[in-house]
Amino acid sequence: MIEINNLVKHYGTKKAVNDISFTVNDGEVLGFLGPNGAGKTTTMNIITGYLSSTSGTVKVNGHDILEEPELAKKDIGYLPEQPPLYNDMTVIEFLNFMCDLKKVRKADRKPMLSEIMDMVKISSVSDRLIGNLSKGYKQRVGIAQALIGDPKILILDEPTVGLDPGQVIEIRKLVKSLSKNHSIVISSHILSEIQAVCDRVVILNHGKVAAIDTIPDLSRRLSGTSKFLLTVRGDGDDIVSKIKMLTSIQDVSIRRSEGEYYEIEILVSNSAKTDPREAIFFALAKAGYPMLEFRSLDPTLEEIFLSITG
Amino acid sequence: MTAIFKREFLSFFRNPVGYVVIALFSFISGVYFVNMLMNISVDISLEIISLRSFFIIIVPIVTMGLFSEDRKKGTEVLYYTNPITMFDVVAGKFLAAMSLIFVMFINVFIHMIVTKAFGGVVGAGDFGAAIVFFFLAALFVAIGCFASALTDSQIISALLCFLFILVIQMLSTFASFLNSSVSSVLILMNVDSEKANAFGSGLADVISWLDPFVKTQRFRFGVFGVAPLFFCLSMAVFFLYLTFRMLEKKRWSQR
Repeated sequence: MIEINNLVKHYGTKKAVNDISFTVNDGEVLGFLGPNGAGKTTTMNIITGYLSSTSGTVKVNGHDILEEPELAKKDIGYLPEQPPLYNDMTVIEFLNFMCDLKKVRKADRKPMLSEIMDMVKISSVSDRLIGNLSKGYKQRVGIAQALIGDPKILILDEPTVGLDPGQVIEIRKLVKSLSKNHSIVISSHILSEIQAVCDRVVILNHGKVAAIDTIPDLSRRLSGTSKFLLTVRGDGDDIVSKIKMLTSIQDVSIRRSEGEYYEIEILVSNSAKTDPREAIFFALAKAGYPMLEFRSLDPTLEEIFLSITG
Repeated sequence: MTAIFKREFLSFFRNPVGYVVIALFSFISGVYFVNMLMNISVDISLEIISLRSFFIIIVPIVTMGLFSEDRKKGTEVLYYTNPITMFDVVAGKFLAAMSLIFVMFINVFIHMIVTKAFGGVVGAGDFGAAIVFFFLAALFVAIGCFASALTDSQIISALLCFLFILVIQMLSTFASFLNSSVSSVLILMNVDSEKANAFGSGLADVISWLDPFVKTQRFRFGVFGVAPLFFCLSMAVFFLYLTFRMLEKKRWSQR
């Protein structure tokens, strides 16, 4: 469990972190969401003891990170934004070095290392130099490094940045499987990623907590402003007017057009009680306009902030 | 501490640094030794004294990457976020560098054995010079650690270390220069010549008091003392402490 109380960090006159308080419960996956420069990485660096805060306290399982750093750090596995790897070591040498740093007993090493390497799928590259690995493998070695010593808390700073889509899905799966017996704090600026793995979200903006919410609550809050995008073949202006006539539609606009094909953006009003999608389908079918695509648009981070702060 | 020590020491041999330093030292010491053999007058202490002047090249090569590389590559995170203390990190790296110096010094031990085996003389003075060599190395390596902790560029840290050692090597020259120039300036300013000379030589004494080479010069004649070694050691500890503070400062920085 991590308790964070009134955390403040100044950089010159700028407050990178401005009075943040929240708690990470045991066995929970907490998402850190925020745009670049919101203070995600700074907060994580303070939790792990890499940086010191200007004021405020961080307690890891009851141990203050500044007063009892060794006890607190023993429970934390940290994957920073840039995985801290020595390019001149092989994977297995590096992981053994990490065992030394985390004071893992000699007898426990072999089984622990082979388990971790199987889990993050790096057994096949264990004898290769880290410098020669691809970005995806380096990221996995970074995760393996964080898992050594069986820490109860994992802190992962943007673990999927720079990975290809297949690898992103694999890392998500890994985080899910780890969440069974770890508390995990994971940061990202991509909403869907956080939604996929987290129980609770802390949204940061300009160094402050904009919201702390569970995922269902967050989506409920966001559902007020649902948006759809559809592609239709036909007469653009007529289509827009047909949709506008339906109930609970707030705004309809043509986003793009290409000959007879129109991409139309529909904003559904907050007070809508019924799902307008069926009505839209039937209206267009009746008018004889074939619908080629119909999907809901994920709210962007900016929209989330607008809906939360505004 | 052993974890850091092991990694750092082995990393000297994962990249060329370790091999370069050992090759360089073997070559230079070999040249001195062969030269003495050819003149049929072998004095190991003299060889060691001559080798000390290469600290200025060897120590910066050894220490330049110790802390700066970690900062540049982002691996320093490991030291701050794992259950070890900064003391472990500084001590581990310092001892790793000292061990490399010891490995390269094995050359000189071999020369001693060769000298002894062929009927030469290896006496207390030679061991005295060897002891001084290590204490001076400790001082310079500590300075190198500090220089490396100041920056994230290996080149700049090597240059800084080079300059520090240069200044220390020139302390005596600097002292005698100050002695004569300060007293003559004072005489020009109508100060009584006796007082001016006393002031000048006093100033020179203060500066040469700091010179570790002067302090330890009697060891090679077999005259040992604790004070000079303690001086080198405490200076080394002082610079290691500064290194430690630099690393801590990085963490508390608010800019």
